Parts: sequence; C-alpha cells; structure tokens
Amino acid sequence: MSTPTSKTVLSVRDLKVSFASEAGRVDAVRGVSFDLEAGKTLGIVGESGSGKSVTSLAIMGLLDENAKVTGSIQFEGQELLGKSDKQMSMIRGNGMAMVFQDPLTSLTPVFTIGDQLVEALTVHRGLSKSEAWDRSLELLRVVGITNPEKRMKSFPHEFSGGMRQRVVIAIAMANNPRLIICDEPTTALDVTIQAQILDLIEKAQDETGAAVIMITHDMGVVARTADDVMVMYAGKPVEHAPAHELFHNTRMPYSIGLLGAIPRVDKAEKEPLIPIKGNPPLLIDLPDACPFASRCPIAIDACVRREPDLVPIASDSGENHLAACIRADQIDSDGLIGGLPVYPAPELHESSLTRTPREERPVTLEVRNMVKTFPLLKGALFKRKVGEVHAVKGISFDVREGETMAIVGESGSGKTTTLLQIMDFEKQADGDIIIAGTSVNGLHSRKVERTLRRDIQIVFQDPMGALDPRMTVTDIIAEPMQAIGMNKDEIHSRVQELMDLVGLNPAHRDRFPGAFSGGQRQRIGIARALSTNPKIVVLDEPVSALDVSIQAGVINLLDELKVKLGLSYLFVAHDLSVIRHIADRVAVMYLGEFVEYGDVDDVFDNPQHPYTQALLSAIPVPDPDIERTRQRVIFDPETMSTRPATV
Amino acid sequence: MSTEMIDPAVQPPVGPDTTAERVPGKQLSKWTLYTRRFMRNKPAVAGIVIFVLMVIYSIVVPLLTPYKIDDQDFMNLSTGPSSEHWFGTNASGNDNWLQTAVGLQRSLMIAVTVSVGVTALSAIVGTAAAYFRGRVEQITLMVIHFLMVVPTFLILALVSNNAGGDWRVISLAMIFVSWFFPARVIWTLALSLREREYVDAARYMGVPGMRIVLRHLVPNIGSLLVINFTLGIVGAVGTETGLSFIGFGVKAPDVSLGSLIGYGAASVTSAPWLFYFPALALTLLTVSMALVADGLRDALDPTSAAGGRA
Amino acid sequence: MIKYLVRRALGWLLMIVVATNVTYILAWSFLDPRSNYVGRKPPLSPEQIENLLRPRNLDNTVPLVERWWTWLTGIVLRWDWGVSPTGGSVNEQVAYRMWVSAELVLGATIIMTLLGIWIGVYTASRQYKLGDRIWQGISIITMNINIIVAALAVVILAINFNTWVGTRVFFVTGSSSEGVTGFFPVIVDALQHLILPTIALVVIGYAQYHFLQRTLLLDNISADYVRTARAKGLTKQQAIRRHALRTSLIPVATQVAFSIPGIFTGAILTESIFAWQGMGRYFLTTINGNDVHGVVAVAAFGAVLTAIGALLADIAVVVLDPRVRVS
Repeated sequence: MSTPTSKTVLSVRDLKVSFASEAGRVDAVRGVSFDLEAGKTLGIVGESGSGKSVTSLAIMGLLDENAKVTGSIQFEGQELLGKSDKQMSMIRGNGMAMVFQDPLTSLTPVFTIGDQLVEALTVHRGLSKSEAWDRSLELLRVVGITNPEKRMKSFPHEFSGGMRQRVVIAIAMANNPRLIICDEPTTALDVTIQAQILDLIEKAQDETGAAVIMITHDMGVVARTADDVMVMYAGKPVEHAPAHELFHNTRMPYSIGLLGAIPRVDKAEKEPLIPIKGNPPLLIDLPDACPFASRCPIAIDACVRREPDLVPIASDSGENHLAACIRADQIDSDGLIGGLPVYPAPELHESSLTRTPREERPVTLEVRNMVKTFPLLKGALFKRKVGEVHAVKGISFDVREGETMAIVGESGSGKTTTLLQIMDFEKQADGDIIIAGTSVNGLHSRKVERTLRRDIQIVFQDPMGALDPRMTVTDIIAEPMQAIGMNKDEIHSRVQELMDLVGLNPAHRDRFPGAFSGGQRQRIGIARALSTNPKIVVLDEPVSALDVSIQAGVINLLDELKVKLGLSYLFVAHDLSVIRHIADRVAVMYLGEFVEYGDVDDVFDNPQHPYTQALLSAIPVPDPDIERTRQRVIFDPETMSTRPATV
Repeated sequence: MSTEMIDPAVQPPVGPDTTAERVPGKQLSKWTLYTRRFMRNKPAVAGIVIFVLMVIYSIVVPLLTPYKIDDQDFMNLSTGPSSEHWFGTNASGNDNWLQTAVGLQRSLMIAVTVSVGVTALSAIVGTAAAYFRGRVEQITLMVIHFLMVVPTFLILALVSNNAGGDWRVISLAMIFVSWFFPARVIWTLALSLREREYVDAARYMGVPGMRIVLRHLVPNIGSLLVINFTLGIVGAVGTETGLSFIGFGVKAPDVSLGSLIGYGAASVTSAPWLFYFPALALTLLTVSMALVADGLRDALDPTSAAGGRA
Repeated sequence: MIKYLVRRALGWLLMIVVATNVTYILAWSFLDPRSNYVGRKPPLSPEQIENLLRPRNLDNTVPLVERWWTWLTGIVLRWDWGVSPTGGSVNEQVAYRMWVSAELVLGATIIMTLLGIWIGVYTASRQYKLGDRIWQGISIITMNINIIVAALAVVILAINFNTWVGTRVFFVTGSSSEGVTGFFPVIVDALQHLILPTIALVVIGYAQYHFLQRTLLLDNISADYVRTARAKGLTKQQAIRRHALRTSLIPVATQVAFSIPGIFTGAILTESIFAWQGMGRYFLTTINGNDVHGVVAVAAFGAVLTAIGALLADIAVVVLDPRVRVS
C-alpha cells in the first residue's frame, strides 16, 4: 500500500438521484455522503436495487438525461453537479476514470484495442501518433498483456474476458487519474482471473496514488480491497465503517444478515446459512420509516415511525463507525442483542440416509467415461471440419441416494457440456450414462425415454430465462407432469402441494413470472423440477444469479428438500463457497478432465492438485484480517504447477 | 448477478415472505398497461378511429346508397362532385361514391385475408426453422433466400392474370409470394428465443418439438406478430393496388381501389375526381394502419422509452 | 477480403441462374403463345401457327424439356435470349430498356438510402425533440403512400408547375427527348426526364431507412461501449459519432440488398405512369403478349439488380466492419 496523503479527492454530500417511471418517481439514491482520500479504497456494498451503481454513474455524470440529481459532489475541490457534458468530459478519463462490469460489451467491437487506447490518450493530451502508440504499449505491459505490439492491432472479440478487463483498466489508467471507480469489475470473470484483476487494480492504485471506489456485492472482495466500507440498502447507506470494524463489530441488522448469509469456503463445520426473509422494497413513495424494518428480526414500533439517520455509534476501537439503526447500541460485537443472536438460527436438517455409508446406498446417477468433442467448422455455404475441440475427455463418477455431488470448474472446463450431455441422454461411444438404474445407451424408443425423464430433472441458472414469461405459474409447474401424461385433477392438487413445499403461496398460482422476485422465480423452477418426483435433480449454477441474502434462502430450501424427499443432487457451479456448504462430494474439472475428486472436506482442506490449490487460493474470504495476510498462488498451465502470486 | 429491479410497473412481488403492507396502490394488469400505453399515442388513436370509420364506410354505403354498382346515370356522364353524386361519376355514369366504397371493401377483404395467411404461415415456419435447427433450418433458409431472388411480382402478375380477376386466387397467390420475407425476420428473432432456458427446460421435460414451437416460441413473438399483421395489411393493399392498376389484379366488373385508380389515371387531367377520391381512400387506409402499427409497437414493446416521458 | 467478395458474387450468380430457370418453367405454366392467334380473321390453321411458333421455340406441342434445352443452350452458347411470338429479338428489346430501368432503379436506391440514413442519424441524436417528431410524422405518411398515388401526384404537381413557370422544366413522359445531341444537353435532358419518377420513388422509399437507422443508432447509443467512450472523456456527441454510428450502419447496409426487389416493382409501376420504355413497361407487354422469352428476360434482369445491390451491400459491410476482414 502506498503512503496515504491527507488530501481529500472526493467529497459527496447528501447525493440524491431520482427517475421518472411508469409507476411513479423512483428514488434510486436517497442521500449518500462520504469523503475519500487519495490512496485509499472505499468499498460500496449492496445488493441489486441498493443504488450503488447509480451513485457511481452520478459521480461520473453518465446518468440518463431524465435523471434528477441533487446534492453536492466535489472532486478535488470542484463542484461537479451542474457542469455541462463538455466540462465533465474533460474530467472523465483524466482526473476520474471508471472500470465497468462487463468487459465483453465495454469495448467497441469495430475498433482495434490500439485505436481505443490511443483515443483515451489523445482526447485529453495533444500527443503525436507515435507518442500515443508508445505510451499505449507501455500501458499494456503494465497491465500484464504479453506481446503488446501484436495485441494493439487486435479486436476485442479476439481476447478473453480477463484480458479485455485488463485493457479496460489500462484505458482507465492512461492519464494517471486521481480517482478510479470500479463497478463490479470482476463479477463477470472466473475466480482465478478475478484474483488477478483485483491485484492489478491494487497495482494501478499504487502506481498512480489514486483513490479507488470498489463497488461490489461480494463481501470477500470488499474484505480484500477496502479500507472503508459503506453498506447500502434501498438507496441509502445503512452502515459505514473501516473494514475491520464492519466485519467484526457489525451493528446494523442488515449488514449482520448479509454477513451471515454468506457461505464460507474456509469453514469445515456446516453452519446453517441465515437468510434474510422478504425482498428489498420498491423505491417508489417510500414512507418515512426504516426501509429494512419489514425484514428485520429485531424491529420495534419506533423503527417504522421515522427513518433512522446514519449516526456515529460508540465503538471500542475508537474509529469512526456510522450506522442507521436505532438499536445499534444494543447490539454487541458478537452479533447478540440481549444475549440472543439477532437472527435466529434455522434448524439444520439431518437426513437418516447420511448415517448409512455411501457405498451401501443405491446409485441414482452413474457416468462412465463420458467423452464429447465438438468439430470446428469453417465455410459459409458448405461447412467443413478444420479441427476438434475436446470439451470432455473421459470422466467417470457416481452419485448415491441422498448425496449432493458438485462439479466445479471455471469457464471452458467442460462442466456445462457434461451436464447437457447427461440431460440430452447422449449415447456414449465408449462409456455410458446410467440414470436410476436405466442405461442411456440402451434407450431405443421415445416412450421409454420419456419415462426415464421423470427420474432426472434440471433447475437452471437464470430464474428469469428459465420460466416462459407468457405462462402462469400453474402452467409452468404442470408442464413436466403434462408431458408424462398425468391427469388434470392430479396435476392440480400436486401443483398446490409443490408450491407449499417450496415456500410459495398457492393463491398466486395464476400470476406470471414477471410478478415474482428472483428468489421466488427460482423456487418456481425448483417446484417444477420436483413435480415428477425425480430421483436426482441436476442444478446448473442455481444461485449465482441471485442476491446473497436470497441465495441463502434457496440453499437452505434445497437442503431441506433433499432431506424431506430423499433426493440426490448434481450441482454444477463455479462458486466454491456455496459448494463447500452444500456438497458432500466434489470434482474439480479443468480442460475436460477431473483433476481432483473426493469428499468435500478432503478436497477443500487438503487439495492435492495444483489447480485446485490455485482455485482455492483465489477465492476471497469475507474477513479482512485473513484476506490481507494471505499468500496466494497462481496456477501455471504450462508447467501444471503453482507459483506464488506476483502482480 | 441479479441485475433486475422488479419492474415497478408490474405487480409487486407476492409470497409468504413479503409484507402485505408494502404493496403500492397501483396494481396494473398486463392488458390495462398495454391499453394505457396505446392510448397515450395520439396518432395511433387517430389511426384506429380513421380505420374503423373507413370499414364502416365500405360496408354501410353499398347497403344504403340509392345507386347500384352498375347503374348508369346517362344524365351525368363524367361529371364532377355534385349533390346527386358526392364523388362524381365516371364515363359510364357509375356513381363514384359507391364505387369507391365497394372498391375499398374489396381491397380490404383481400388485404386482411392475405395478412392473416402470411402472419400465420411465416410465424410457424420461422419459429420451427429456428427450433429444429440442423437440416430443417438449413433447407428452410435456402428456400427463403431463393424465393427472395425469384421475381415475385412477376409470378403474381402471371397467376392473377390467368385467374381472370378472381379475388380468392389473387389472395392465395399473394400469400404464397409474401410469406417468406416475414418468415426470415421471425426466424432471426426466434434464434435468440431458442437460446432461452425455458425452451431447453421444456425439451428436458420430454415435451415434443412441435408442441414447444407452438406453446413457447410463437406466443413469445406475439407482439411482433400483431405488428406484422397490421403492417401486412398495408403491404397487401399496396401490392394488390399495383396489380390491379396495371390490369392484372382485380378486373371489371369487380372493382378495387387499384383498378379505380388505374381507370382514373387515364383521365387525371379531365376528370381528376376519379383519381382523387380512390387515391385519398387508399392513402387514408394505409397511413391509418401504419399509425396503429406504430402505436402497437410502442404499447407492446417493453423496451420503449415512451413510458418515461408520460 | 477479395476472396470473400468473389465467393459472395459466385453465390449470387448461382441464385440468378436458378431463379431464371424456374421462371422459364413458371412462365410456360401460365402463358400460351398460341392464344395470340385465337380469334384472328381470317383464322390460321394449326399448321400455320405451328410453322410460326416452332422456329421461335414457342410451340407447346414440343416437350417442355426440349424447349428448355434449346432456350438454355441459346443463352449459354450464343447469348441469345430468344424471340417474341411476333419474331422480335428479346436481346434487342432488353439492350436499350435495361439501361433505362437501371438508371432509374439504381439512382433512386442510392438517393433514398443516403437520404434515409442522414435523416435517421439526425433524428436519433435529437430523440423526442421537435425535429425528430416532425420527421417521424412526415416519414410515416410518405412511407405509406402508394407509389401509384405518389407518381400521379408528382405528375399533377409538375404539370401545374410547368404551366405556372411557362416552360417545360419537368418532363412527365418518356426517358429522353428526341433530337438532343451533345454531351451536356443530353445529360441535362436525361435529368429533366429522370427527376420526376426518381422523386416519386425516393419520397416513398426513404422512410424505411430513416426508421431503421434511427432505431439502430438509438440502440447503439445506449450500448455499454458508448458509455465507456464517454467515461474516457469523449463528449456525448463525439462518442455517438465515432463509436455508435459506425456500428449501426452495418445492418442498414445489408438491408439495402433486400429492398431492391421492392424498388424494381415500384419502377414497373412508375414506368407505366411516366411512359418510360424500360424493363417495367416491357414486363407488361410481355405478359400481355404471352411472350415467354421476354418474361424470363425481365425476371433475370430483376435478379441481377438484386445481386448488384447485395454485392454493394457486402462491399459496404467489408469497409465498415473490420471484423469481417480478419475472420
């Protein structure tokens, strides 16, 4: 870390942003205030709808024209609100820079990387062509892109996600900004790349001495990067404290709930995740009350009478700790209020099945030597094969009744292909897929195939995309049952039963998916998967598209259902913390092969393969003390071994 | 990462884990929302009014007017608009007011029939091609691309000329040559739809292919179909007018707006009313339909920015 | 890049060949040269008719395959597209009509495309302001006026204008005047004849490009990479002009190819109204005269125009989208 100067780079006071919408005025940001000094990092944490992205866009002046912005934003002493687009454009990319979330769409597809870098330089400085070119090469080297001369002439679509994000950071660094705003810069990236990009941002900060605002929903990332943390909820900050204080002395119930809902990759004993019930409020016509009151387990009458202010609270460390909760002083540093935990711990479900050793339990899914290659085709009219991609290179595993098996890997590992092969009932040339005792290779009739589909169902990642927006909930849940030919009355009563089972109100069965929140939609997807009483449910990243607090509720539901119905699960995911929490067995997949396979505790506590070691080392842990002192390793695919992480 | 805020215009989230008190007052159902958006668009409302008036005109006038379609008023040959003949008469003494109404009726009948046929056919072919992929898709696309190079107007002219002006044959021929362009547009849209997970979900449930096409893909391009249908009417009227104008479409004794304009074009300097009135009817018809289509697009398409401006 | 264009050109050539052949068969299904001689006074005997039609390869007692082969070899070996039932050479007819129609169709296409794109860009950057609304109103009306109505309206206006001014500024009949010589006078004369039908075609045709370009540009304006460009320090206008515009032009260019058949149809009608002796007029004559070979020639011409439009669009895409060159 560089030596902090006492110069305040950014000073925000009472920032408010509102938009007009069909249903009324949306108050996206309702009063944000903070100061940021050079060389320091402020982490802004919140879930969707908290207003964190809108805040950053307001600072940069990139909001839509119909957004109303009030308050004060002072950058290096200058007031930014009220400046014209032309005046702001002289500061953007110069004094202030921004790194966005999705590197795929952040770069213009029809210009070369070099052109876009050079543009960032020449727009502010009168450099000659060759000067700008040289400086661009230098920037690419700094961000770790090899062979920069060649890369300058490439197009964005020729780069991987991680490399594109490096380019975006290079563009942001180009003119030595004093403030860098990063809006979820690593959310769209693989875990190992994420770690590298975070290292890079740190390096950029060291080189330029800039202040950084890190906006994210991932508490682990916050623990790693932030000096100060501001937790936002419903458009306002509800807690603001230095990192250590926030993680170990949390005072606001929402923050407590957020931290409690996160699965930990480093903890072996299974503690139940604590979900926060309910959903964030709509930001239209909010009453003068605490916006979290309806979801807060310790809310009292006074909480709904007036919205709490963000006020300093007494803390043992003497540091500046603000919280917007009238009961904050009653909560002690162990998260207890009046001797009881703020959030009551839900019961942990134990299945009788787990007491039987796994070898004695029946096999619900077995995969033997699965292989899948894709031909590479070229040619416009008549395509011809020019090569092959070996997506899956021969994997074997089995899943027993009552067990959760997880396949973990990054993009390109082949895990999704494996899943689709299983669901497609792909006949294997040199192996087999056996579902609940029936071999896929032996399927010859449509009818038998359809009967087999009863036993294996799938839950998808994207809760919005997985449900047909034009079908009612009843229709959606009933569809698998209709496909196997159940009669209408049976289907009707079963739909009610299933909705109760997953925690949805059966009275809402005639509504459309758009009327439900993300977590509820995922529950509909789960209900649909359970409708035919399958033996095994395949889940493709079922919680990665959900907010952390909602995620916990769905994970707990899946645990509960597994015990109640005696299900087995096959999970495919990239989020190791979730896997640690929910899986019994795990297989780590890399370039089409299992590099490690075994009991989840063995693999996580004692990883054998270097790739697994690097993967585990890259995951940020939501505890700043641990994060700041960790030694990270990087996997080197050429030597197939790890080396210590250097930036 | 969940990026959507719950759409404030749609019903608020419901379920045992929400507080009932948080429900905002406005519970907008889908149809109310569509209608409200449509009504906000003044030109679209005007379009619907004009269209309805014209339909009434074309149906009611032939029933009420004292003249018959082949009545010849020898006292008024090729006379301009008067109190007896509001739109004037042609060289054979036929009343232009009546002729325009009947012509409008015929043009509408053909146009609506054609648009229904084209919309249905293009929807099914386009979505099926996208869903079934592989050979089916390749062949369908080849057929479509090929048909786009074939001179369809020529074929239309050949067929309808041969049919001697029978409006049903003309309609059928028009459906046959007009379905593939919208099918291609629908195919492009269906391409992105087929990647949606609910299509995969249905497949993994064991739902047969054609059922998926009809149950999942077609309803989800519904808004496009509605707009296509409206614009299809505009296009069909235009094509039929062109055909009838050059003498290949609707022929005497049947009249359509195109044949009337063709007739009127010959005497555009001597008897301009024979051109003006059918031309006015034609233009009002097409423009009003286009305004309606525009309004529908704004109302049904949730990505329109019109809402924020209200 | 050249390889890519050559491959595309060959593909279109194949399409033209197939389309022409199919038209040949279709034409024979609906046309009958014999019927030209029905009702003649004095009536001709069947042998006399046959003697007239057979040498012209228009006798339908000869098997279709034979007729087709004679016709095909005629084109491939001698570039002879056959004769009409009255014996006139199709090649001769097409030779001069071709240029007449081409100048109308291609000229109108280029002008309406450029005009539409320009208006689309202009209105997109002023979304919902007065300029945008005015143009939307104008375009939605002009787009839905039938070409016949537009052409006749243009004729009426031009005649009135000519009367008001006193001289013949605009010509409403024909594609050129008799007896005009010299380089410039010929061009001026051609333009005087060309301007009215072109105006009619452009006025009703530009709006589809206007709306398309506007929608595409608006979509691209709200794209992430435009936001990145602004975050770099470009003003909103700069970001739109440099980044969004180029990306949005690409789909518009591809659209041009698909709209040429429509413009050709419009030209058919326009040529009738303006009495141009082009392929459009020929289209009517050949169908009415049961001239099978002539009908096929018209179809081939239309297909060629489409192919030209498609190739121009492909060239434009190659110029605008550097990704095509790389892959």
